[in-house]
Amino acid sequence: MRYVKWTIITVLVLLVFGFFHYTLPQRDIVRIVNTYEERQDLNGWTRMFWSSPDDNSDTLANRDVQFIQAIQANGKTMVYRNEDTGWGWPPYFKFDTANLYAEANDAISSKDAPEWYAIRHYGWRNEFLSIFPNAVGLKRVDGPDVRLIPYGNIVMLTLLALFVGFLYRVWAQFRERTIDPLLEDAGETWDAVDERADAARDKARGMWGRLRDRMRR
Amino acid sequence: MLGFIRLFIIVIVAQAILYVVVSVYSRSVRREKMEDSADEKIAQGDLDPGLRDAYIEGGMLDYEQSLRKKLIWGVIVLPMAAVLVLIYVTNFG
Repeated sequence: MRYVKWTIITVLVLLVFGFFHYTLPQRDIVRIVNTYEERQDLNGWTRMFWSSPDDNSDTLANRDVQFIQAIQANGKTMVYRNEDTGWGWPPYFKFDTANLYAEANDAISSKDAPEWYAIRHYGWRNEFLSIFPNAVGLKRVDGPDVRLIPYGNIVMLTLLALFVGFLYRVWAQFRERTIDPLLEDAGETWDAVDERADAARDKARGMWGRLRDRMRR
Repeated sequence: MLGFIRLFIIVIVAQAILYVVVSVYSRSVRREKMEDSADEKIAQGDLDPGLRDAYIEGGMLDYEQSLRKKLIWGVIVLPMAAVLVLIYVTNFG
């Protein structure tokens, strides 16, 4: 039983962590090398790793998607997709895909004369599933070693922790003021029933029995 | 447009639930405070035990008029303001 409990707890923690790791924004420092557009087949279960930006393309099995190719500061490659999130999940309210595409094209630089950009994105790159993080914003930085502080994530996670703490307080208050009094009432009623049953039993057993009971106590 | 309507409905429903939860909680906390303060006053002899309920109800009436209760509307207003800020920052910032 203990293994079952810990397995469930581990899976839950991983799910929550994975959810936030996927959804919250991250910034990479990259050099942008190219942009391209490619038709993507969007049927199958990996559909959830792509946007459903407008109501029309939601029903299509494939459509054109913009991509941004980049080299990270550590030399590894990374490819971002560039899609509207619109009013959907995750709530980035990104409508400026076309503008970002123009910015990305403007930001292309060569190895000899590199220009470094902090690219804000959410999501995961996975080669086996063919999924890509979605680029949300682009900002010029001084060099590949700039230190970026994730203020947005700090604020988000702090608010979330406060909210969870608040929910706990609400629950504690509800239990103290509503559930416990109810249980106490029920307990008193039950005690009363118990006492009556005892009395009836004593009566039935007669005087000798009662006396014997008292001596045993 | 359909996406906007869907989001709006989901957000409004979630906020309505949160508003009710927060106001019930806030009222409950206030009532507990009034009860404690009444018991304290009775123990000190400042309040007639027969007036305990009236004292608590008086405090609750004050609460219903208070700024604190009106601030709960922030549950509705603040997330919507945050969405507007986010839209601006993401697309025009």
